[in-house]
Order: sequence, then C-alpha cells, then structure tokens
Amino acid sequence: MEFFRQTNIDFLKYKWWAIGASWALIAVGLFTVFVQKGLKFGIDFSGGTAIVIRLAERPDIDKMRTDLDGAGLGEIGIQRYEEPEKNEVLIRVQQQAKEGRDVAGEVLRALRQSLQAETDPNKIDINIEGRATLAVRLAAADPDHVAGKPDVNPEEHYAQAAERVIARRSELGLFRSPADVDSVAGISDAVKAWIKPNTVAGPFVLLSAENVGPQVGKDLQKKALYAVIWSTIGMLAYIAFRFRSLPFGVGAIVALVHDTLITVGLLALFGREFNLIVVAALLTLVGYSVNDTVVVYDRVRENLKTPKKEPLEVVINRSINQTLSRTILTSGATMLVVIALFFLGGEVLNTFALTLIIGIIVGTYSSIYVAAAIVVIWNDWKKGRKLAVVPAPVKVEPPPAQPIAPATPGKKKQKGR
Amino acid sequence: MGKKLRWRVLLILLVVVGAIAGYVWTGYRHAKKEMVGDGNPSMKDALKKAIKLGLDLRGGIHLVLQVNTADAVKAERDDATETLQREAKAAGIGPVEFPTDSSFTVAVTPQTDLAKLEDTVKRFLPDWAYSTGGGKWTFTLKDPSRRLIEDNATAQAVETIRNRVDEFGVAEPLIARQGKDRILVQLPGIDDPKRVKDLIKNTAFLELSLVESGPSTEDALKANYSGDQFKILEAKAVSGSRDRLYYAVRKQAVITGRDLKNARPSQGQFGAHSVSFFLTAAGSQKFGAATGANIGKQLAIVLDNRVQSAPNIKDRITEQGVIEGSFTAEEANDLALVLRAGALPAGLTYLEERTVGPSLGLDSIKKGIRASVVGALIVFVAMALYYRRAGWNAIFALILNALLLAAAMAMFEATLTLPGIAGFILTIGMAVDSNVLVFERIREELRNGRAPKAAIENGFSKAFATIVDTHATTIISALFLLQFGTGPVKGFAVTLIIGLLISMFTAVFVSHTIFELEYGRRQHIDTVSI
Repeated sequence: MEFFRQTNIDFLKYKWWAIGASWALIAVGLFTVFVQKGLKFGIDFSGGTAIVIRLAERPDIDKMRTDLDGAGLGEIGIQRYEEPEKNEVLIRVQQQAKEGRDVAGEVLRALRQSLQAETDPNKIDINIEGRATLAVRLAAADPDHVAGKPDVNPEEHYAQAAERVIARRSELGLFRSPADVDSVAGISDAVKAWIKPNTVAGPFVLLSAENVGPQVGKDLQKKALYAVIWSTIGMLAYIAFRFRSLPFGVGAIVALVHDTLITVGLLALFGREFNLIVVAALLTLVGYSVNDTVVVYDRVRENLKTPKKEPLEVVINRSINQTLSRTILTSGATMLVVIALFFLGGEVLNTFALTLIIGIIVGTYSSIYVAAAIVVIWNDWKKGRKLAVVPAPVKVEPPPAQPIAPATPGKKKQKGR
Repeated sequence: MGKKLRWRVLLILLVVVGAIAGYVWTGYRHAKKEMVGDGNPSMKDALKKAIKLGLDLRGGIHLVLQVNTADAVKAERDDATETLQREAKAAGIGPVEFPTDSSFTVAVTPQTDLAKLEDTVKRFLPDWAYSTGGGKWTFTLKDPSRRLIEDNATAQAVETIRNRVDEFGVAEPLIARQGKDRILVQLPGIDDPKRVKDLIKNTAFLELSLVESGPSTEDALKANYSGDQFKILEAKAVSGSRDRLYYAVRKQAVITGRDLKNARPSQGQFGAHSVSFFLTAAGSQKFGAATGANIGKQLAIVLDNRVQSAPNIKDRITEQGVIEGSFTAEEANDLALVLRAGALPAGLTYLEERTVGPSLGLDSIKKGIRASVVGALIVFVAMALYYRRAGWNAIFALILNALLLAAAMAMFEATLTLPGIAGFILTIGMAVDSNVLVFERIREELRNGRAPKAAIENGFSKAFATIVDTHATTIISALFLLQFGTGPVKGFAVTLIIGLLISMFTAVFVSHTIFELEYGRRQHIDTVSI
C-alpha cells in the first residue's frame, strides 16, 4: 500500500497564507490566555488541595458543597470524576494562606459529618484506615490467640490479615458494611468475627489526596518555566551544531516556539488544566517539533549537495514532497497511540494526550510551513540584498515538471556492507 | 549466511535471552524479598514484580517537609541565656529580653561588673557576638554558628525521621534531604496518611518533672509559681470535659527522652492502652534518686510541653515507668515508637503531600495497560497493511523494543509511573518513526531504479543520520524533565529516554539484520515486499 507516491505539491506557494493562519491561531491563544480566561493552573503550580474519593452512594454534590463551605477553607470546587457510575468525586480546595495546614484531613472530617458517618472512637473505619492501623488493632485484640506462641510473630500474623482485608477492599471498590469481610480469603473466622462489631464501613474511600503548599507551587512553576526555556536552548544548540546555518536554526526555533504557543493557547481555550504532566507533554512536544523539522532539513541539505542548479524554493519543495510520506506516516503512528491514550488512559492522562494530539498536528504542519518557509523567506530576503547565506546555487531554469530524477549509477558513493 | 551476519544474529539472540533472563531474575528477586516466610515465589509473581512501580501506581505517600530550623536556633538562644544568667550572677545583671528568635539583650545596671561580664561572655558564649549601648548588651548568634545549628537540625531531623519510618516498617522508604531545610519522604505502599504524618511530625519531647502544685487553674498557679524555677503547663484534655487544667512543675526535669533505653506499648488494668518505658543506667540512677527523695509527691509526665499524667510517687522507681493517658491502640503504639526513635530537634511543616490509595493505583495500571495494548495493536496493523512483509519486520522490532525496555527498566531498578506508561506507549509510536524513515528511503531507492539489495543498503545508510537526529532531539528535551524530581514526571522522562535509546538498536541494527536474513542469502532478488 502507498498513499503518497511521488507527490509534487507546491507547498511553499501557500506559505504566506499559512503564516497568516499561524498568526491567527497564536492570536486566538494569546487572547484566551491574557484577556479572556487566563491559564488554568492545576494544584501543582497554583498550590491547594485536590482530593478524590469514591462514595458508596450516588453523591449529592450540592449538599456536599454546602456542608464543605461551612468548614472555613475558602473556595471549594466539587465535580464528578471519571465514569459517573463509579460515584467518584474530585474536591478541590484553594490554596491556604498558611503553610502546612492539614486541609485534606479537615475536608475528610467535614465530609464524614456531612454524610453522617458513624463516629465511635473505639471503632475504626475500614474504608478509611489503612493496613497498619487495622493490624495494630487486631494485634491488640488478638482474636487468633497467637500472642506468646513461639512459632508465630503476632505483628506479622495480623499485618498479613490486614493486608488481605485492604486488598479485598481495593477489589470491591469499597466495603458497604463490615459484614463484607466475610468475602476476604485467607483470614480466620475469629478475625472476621472481631472485625464485624469493632469496625464501621464509612461512606467513602480515599482514592488520592494531594496538597501543595504555596512555596512548592512557586518552585514548580519556576522549574517548569526553566525546563521549557532550557530545552528550547538545548534544541537551539543541537541545531546549531548539526546544521551550522543561521536560517535553518532560526526556522527550527521559530517553529518550536510557534508549536508551543499554539498548543498552550488551545489548551487554555479548551479550559484544560496545566499541571506537571502537561508540562511533560509540552517538553515532549518540543522534542517532537524539532524532530520533524530536522527530517525535512536533513533532506534539504542532502538535496543541496547535488550539483544540479535549482532555486532553493524548488529544492525545499522537493524535499518536503520526498519526506511527506514519512512525515504523515510517523505523525499518524504516534497519533494513533496518543488517541488510544486519550480515550483509554483515564482522567490523569487525558490532558497529556490532548496536548500531544494538538502538538503533533501543529508540529507536523510547522515543519513545512514555518521551519521550511522561513529558510526560503530568509534566502529571498538575503538575495534581495545580494548576499546568499544558504549555499543555494542561483536560479537558472524554471522548476522541472518531474522533480525526481532517475538515479545515475556511480553518482553517489554506495556504502559497502 | 555470512560470517558477519552470523555474529549479528548471535548478538541479537544473546541480548534477547539476556533481557528475558534479567527481567525474570529481577522479578524473582523482588518477589522473594516481599514474601513472608519461606518458599519460592511463583513465576507469575516474578513477572509481575520485576518492574518497580511508582507511588502513583503502587499507592503510597509523598511528603515534602520543612524543618523549622528557627526552633533549633531559639533553643540555642534559651540555652545561652540560661548559661549567662547562671555564670554572670556574680557580675550582677539586669533583666533579659528577647527581641528576635536569634538574639537577646541583657540590661546592665550601675552595679554591674562590666569586666567580669565580658570575661564570662568570652568564656561561655563564644558563638555569640555582642554590642553595647542603651544601657544593655545585645547578643546575636554569629552567622557561621547559626548556619551550623540549622544544618545540624536538618541533618538530625532526617535521621530521626529515618528511625521512625524504619520502626514503622516501611519497605523501601526514601528519606532525603533537599537543600538547606527541606526533607523529601516517600513511603510506597503506605495507606494511613494521617497516622504516618502525625508519626513523622511528632516532636516527641518527653520530660519527667516533679509537680509543685496542681491540677489547678492557670491564674491560680501563675500567682504563686512565677519565676525561673517553675513552668506552668497545660494538662492533656480529659474527654468529655471542657475545663482546662494546669500544673506547675519544676523547670529542671528529672529525666528526659534522652535517658530512655526503650519504650513499648502496653495494656494496663481494664485493657487501657499505655506506654512502658525503660531507662538507661545513668537515667535509672537519676530517676531513682529523685523518686526516692520525693515519695508522696506527684511526678508529671510531660510530652511536648503537655502534661500527659501526673501520678503520685509511691515508691522509689529506678528502671521503668508507664505513661498513661486515654490512648487508642495505635496511639500507644506510635508514641512508643517515637520515644524509641528519638525526639526531633525542631518542628516540621508539611509543604507538599501526595497520597495515592491502593485502589486508584490498580485502576491506573489497568487503564494504562489497556491503552498501551490497543495503541500498539493499531500501530502493528497499520504497519502490516502499509509495508506488508517489511511491516512484519517493523512489528518484530517494536515488540523487541517493548521487551528490552521492560527488561532495562527492571534491571536498572527504574520506577514505572502512570506518565511512565504513557512514555512507554509514546516510545512505540516514536520508534516506528525510525522504521518508517528507513522503509520510505528503500521505496524511494527502488523507485529510482536501484536493485533491491542496493536499495536496502542505501535505505539504511542514508536514513541513519536522520534517525540519530530524531532521537537526539527527543532525548534532549526529556533530559530537562528529569530535574523536576517529583516521581511521576521523572518516571515519564526515564521511560522515554531508555525506550528511545533501545529503539536505536532495534529499528536499525535488528531490522537491518532481518532484511539481510531474508534477502541477503539469495544471489538475485527481483522484488522487495515493502
């Protein structure tokens, strides 16, 4: 199968249109970021708390909001998370003025009250407490009567039992009542009999809790910015080293900045949140953008080596056509896996995948219409000033109809095996 | 088969066998370590446990703490003031004031023997700089000494936290100092965030002091027991009661946490949870003398400046005692633990906290694997359709890439995180790029009328520089991600870098060898299935 057999599209004819389109997209993005919505930072950068819980019942978001508003934690956002039938809820709390406040603990306490969970200091909540606490309680009660037996370490014995109980909870999603421990395999009936009266099954399980203080948020912001800037500089250095030509380097970097700006702008437009994982995607994009550009450039350079005298624009157009099949195919392959990730990877990776989807499209386009176009424009401009920088021979004839010449044996040195 | 080709095939086989063996062996080692008791882990366990999972997949707690080094400086200041007050008594000094945490002033009166005071300061307070004027001497801690105190406080806090975490029994904890006053704590597999946070933060400063008076109200005690010999402390609240009770205790403690040899949870009458402690030889001596001389008096057990209980001394006690209070089983357990592990030199503040419960990790793994498998299958189908036989060559290279990546991750003990799984998939998508570059080049060479064998050779040699370029650019940007330090993103970068390095081997060397195996033997080939 072949999609692009010897295409001969005059890509660069439309370069000014493309440049206009790019500017328009960048403008939309910048408008969104600076005028309209601004960048929506996740707690990694803005600081604050994010808690995800899974509830036994369908959550009444409005009631939860009212009850949590009374907890004195400032602005609180509550939304459904993942698939609705899982009864999962994401709770966000704004950054607190004071460092080190146990926001997650306060939210959970307020939630328990809101959901009217049973509170008895002598009973532990098997949906909230972890292995270690259950193990200590079991060891203190010793339902299996292992204390004092020479061949059993009671701590280890009950740690194992607790481990099995919690593992079962993960499988079930949550315990609906302490009687659910009957379905735990590998623990004694005595342990089950102890658990049932001495524990309660609370209304929710804690899936994750993240709390980022103001200092760490600021640190991470700085680090993210530096990472993007430094990797751009790294790319610049690499291109300078590989191509030793100013217009090529400028073209690649402009394309890279172009891709980053458009992607960030579109993410803002879609109301997506910026967190560390999105920065990871952006940096991957920086690499990907240059990667794509380099493939076109490599071919341009190779084509410039042939003694044929052709205008630069023709050579570049031919190079783009020659690499077109590869460009579409690899972008397509990467796109396929990223789309799989977008639909199947879950909430955390969703924005990551979207960033890459936008980035791959924009990056592929910019290799042609930004990186390559800039080299042509630069050359035209220099030529206007009678100063050829790119080693492009002078124009002698109009572009040939069939740009790919039949191979002449012996023209290129063939490498031996 | 040519001699050179034979060596290449052998090398590939060796790498594959080595990777599989390395993977299984690492998994076996990990599974064995986690197993309780004897016996050998099953193959299934070994395959599952080979790659170390990050906190986001495995569940666990990630904490960044700040050591409030000012506490340690303040303690040093209080020490210095006490020393000065004691030693300079003969010189005669006025009242002491504390303008900041790291300085203090001493008023001088006409009666003060300035020469003597100066002599005392030089002898006993070498770490303090002082200036005179305004009827007082102002002492400030010298910068090098201050830095040393802060540095020691952080270092000691790291050690104390390490002791506590070890006692708590966490497999593979990470406790590392970050910069001047921050500590990173990562505890995989821990699912009691609240308990562990309290455990780490507990300063656990234990003092046993003789009670002068109490329990009583704060005001009543303040009237009679002001001065530098006593201090007035709040008692631990009794559940159900709103009244706050206070004790006046002697400032000079009989024994402190430093005199403890051991502590363990115990149960008293009626099953109440308590903590028993055992003293060192020196501690026993001090304790014995003090209790023997004060029979009938109350002894306050003070934890972090709060009176836990104040039992009467019935007899001379030497070696051990019990701390009572209305503890739950785990509170008693944890208090014993922190007493064993030692006190913190300064308070701690949590700057960052990330907890992932065990079930979320499982969900993430399932989703990540599903997305990877679907993504990879789509790419495989596309390659097979588009490049026919050569496509199978690429598929083989990709599978090998995934296999080697998994083995490398296992053997380097690299951590797989959720974004790391994304990196895994992305590697597959990007590694296919190298195959495509080569295949397109071969097709082009064929179109230009080159003979099949030469076309294959040219395809590989001409695409090589570009392949290096494409890999280098992605690896450079991934390297900048490593500096973030936080697990998930770092895991992504590591996976991507290793994956791309491996793809240089699989997409170029292995793929080339397969082509040669297929076409190299024949003297003449008419077509290449590509």
